[in-house]
Amino acid sequence: MAMATSKSTAMEGRAWNARFPLSRSTTISCLSVLLFFVVWQVAPELGLVNGRFTSQPTKVAAAALEVFASDDFFYHARISLTEFVLGFALALVVSVPLGALLGTSKHARYILDPPLMALYIAPTLVLLPIMVIWLGIGMASKVAVVFLGVIFPIIVNTMAGMREADPRLIRAARSFGASRLDIFTRILVPGSLPSILMGVRLAVGRGVLGVVVGELYVSQVGVGHQLMTYGSSMRIDRLLVYALVISVFGYTLTSLVRLLESRVRNWRTE
Amino acid sequence: MMTELYRRHEALVLGTLSLLTIGILWQAVVSAGLINPFFISTPGAVFKEMGVQFADGTLVENILASLHSFVLALALAAGVGIGLGVLAGWFPDAEAALEPFIWFKYSAPTIAFYPLFVAWLGYGTPTIVAIAFLFALTPIYANTLSGIKNVDRDLVRAAHSFGARPLDIFLRVALPGSVPIVVAGLRLGVGRALTGVVVAELFGASAGLGYSIAYHAQLLQTTKMMVSILVIILLGVVLTQMLSWLEKKTDSWRVP
Amino acid sequence: MAQIEIRDLTIEYRKPNSDEPFVAVDRVSLDIAKGEFVTIVGSSGCGKSTLLLAAAGLVNSASGSITINGKEVSDPGPDRAMVFQEASLLPWRSVLGNVRFGLEMQRWKKDDPTERARRFIRMVGLGAFSDYHPHQLSGGMRQRVNIARALAVDPHVLLMDEPFGALDAQTREVMGDELLKIWERDRKTALFVTHDIDEAVFLGDRVVVMGRDPGHIREIIDIDLPRPRTAAMLDSDQFAAYRRRLREGLGEDMAAMHMITEAA
Ligand SMILES: Nc1ncnc2c1ncn2[C@@H]1O[C@H](COP(=O)(O)OP(=O)(O)OP(=O)(O)O)[C@@H](O)[C@H]1O
Ligand SMILES: [Mg+2]
Repeated sequence: MAMATSKSTAMEGRAWNARFPLSRSTTISCLSVLLFFVVWQVAPELGLVNGRFTSQPTKVAAAALEVFASDDFFYHARISLTEFVLGFALALVVSVPLGALLGTSKHARYILDPPLMALYIAPTLVLLPIMVIWLGIGMASKVAVVFLGVIFPIIVNTMAGMREADPRLIRAARSFGASRLDIFTRILVPGSLPSILMGVRLAVGRGVLGVVVGELYVSQVGVGHQLMTYGSSMRIDRLLVYALVISVFGYTLTSLVRLLESRVRNWRTE
Repeated sequence: MMTELYRRHEALVLGTLSLLTIGILWQAVVSAGLINPFFISTPGAVFKEMGVQFADGTLVENILASLHSFVLALALAAGVGIGLGVLAGWFPDAEAALEPFIWFKYSAPTIAFYPLFVAWLGYGTPTIVAIAFLFALTPIYANTLSGIKNVDRDLVRAAHSFGARPLDIFLRVALPGSVPIVVAGLRLGVGRALTGVVVAELFGASAGLGYSIAYHAQLLQTTKMMVSILVIILLGVVLTQMLSWLEKKTDSWRVP
Repeated sequence: MAQIEIRDLTIEYRKPNSDEPFVAVDRVSLDIAKGEFVTIVGSSGCGKSTLLLAAAGLVNSASGSITINGKEVSDPGPDRAMVFQEASLLPWRSVLGNVRFGLEMQRWKKDDPTERARRFIRMVGLGAFSDYHPHQLSGGMRQRVNIARALAVDPHVLLMDEPFGALDAQTREVMGDELLKIWERDRKTALFVTHDIDEAVFLGDRVVVMGRDPGHIREIIDIDLPRPRTAAMLDSDQFAAYRRRLREGLGEDMAAMHMITEAA
């Protein structure tokens, strides 16, 4: 009970720690995942659900081995990764300077804010079909969708970071005769780095989404294409392998950026 | 007088001008023959097409179809997200049990499971609602959880001193104290639910704004696509603004 | 028989990251008669809040006991009400809603809770502000709400933990004066924690001086100033004598604090 008076919880915690090596919450988390896998494995065997639609953990594990060994997995993965990296890199090149401009110039902000906010809020993925008309069904349209998905969170967060720069620091720098450029490179950029990285972290998820949606929509290669193939041929086990690979990729990248973010924060406070 | 008026509404004036400029530029590059209207259409043509689609009822039909899925998905996500968030926020054991799945949900692009949903539910509204529901669920759950969990300890103690029971504390302290952050979660959920609906409609639907985009894309009818795209962007802005407004209302008691 | 009897009360907390107990209050005994106003002073961390929370039934004792009207305290009860610092008002409720809150928690049936809440709001002089929310009030007004909330549930004992701690010196004096005026009406037994020596003398029939490491009662000083107390008394010789005596009593602690900071 979270809200009971502190007196009872302290005692419970002590008794628990004495008996089990893992913390209570970790134990429960593990049990809950275990239960999920057991139900997933057993339910089709008992005829509770149709295994054709749900597959089973053991089947997915076996399918994973097949997929990695053959199935041109690394070819598809490389294509998708390239689309992701290109779109993301292009977006970084455009969005950070643009965000900086918006963060430091009131007029630029007034002018660009309405269209930017509209695109930040609105699902940019709806532009996918038109990108396909403009750029064809190959990699270029996916790169464009990643670019469009990623660019707005980075702009908005860069802008916020620049605006939150400590005015006292700027005043102090001015008093030492710092130029506008000095203030920008020595105060604004380092000061807003954590905020920029936060934008990048939020953008990772959107970028991955862009690649998958783009490839699901229309493609001849890539992990999204494989998802569609196995979905329509009802190979749920292989479908899940690809879905899991994408999830792990998204999770790993997000965690890395988060790590970098906390590094930068710590380094700033030192 | 004019300058003062301008200065006070500078943001509004410049913002409007910028939107107008975008429209004029759009028209100009096509009129000057720089870009083939086949690719980007023109504001005039889009405006006219919007009138046509409005008159023959297709626009309204598509908007209603998308809104129907959107409302279902958002209601489901709000029910489940707030329900689970309250449960997990109040009982640490429930939070521990749910956490691995939420953690997975955070990192997995829901859309990767789209073919699975099609296998289960077929093409059409159920799959669209399921995808949009999953899109919107996470922020609603996460915000509710943190709202209930971070209930102000001083307030809990004060309530205890008057003999409050756990249910009193839940209903009169934790729940009302979480309203603003839950509404903020709903605001994020609105944008995501709309994305979910439109994306799922792109892939398979028989009506809706996403469907209309995909349908006209196959026929390479850019003007007709543009109508739906603009309406979706407008819808996203309007719906989010409505929730922002609600957020401000429910948040008014916070120290400014 | 005294209304509040504290007998050899010891309260322990668990030290962070260990199972070792930390003694916050060590074998404290104190009797308080019905209608008495007792103030508690002592340096930071000497267990004043802990003692008050124990009386409220919000922390458990390790040994010893507190009885109120002959009944042992183990949980919060309607016979006691606590005035907290201003942060304990529900920010989403109006003044009226906040004063009603305690009544709601106690399932008040004796009369109409809303009417009753209004009466106490008028009593603390906030009649015109019933519909305001806490963030629209000054610090002093918020404390009036806190006091009204506690008095509305008609407790036998009023427990106050530095209720004016966050106020500026001037407002503090005014609030102390008003608190006494309200208190004079029915003279509820009161236990009042403060850091302010003048406040302790001005309000109290007795001042309990606590010392730390571990928290204990160092001395108890009777204040023989007539009631009702007036602001003029603050300048009297008698008041100055009490002030000096308390400062000396607390002085040992201040010297000890200096040594700690120097060692660190
Ligand atoms: N929940 C707790 N867990 C562990 N130790 C605590 C807890 N609450 C208080 N303490 C410790 O008990 C001691 C007494 O605390 P208490 O709050 O009663 O002091 P206080 O006299 O009210 O101080 P102050 O004048 O600063 O308010 C302190 O050393 C404090 O660190
Ligand atoms: Mg204290």
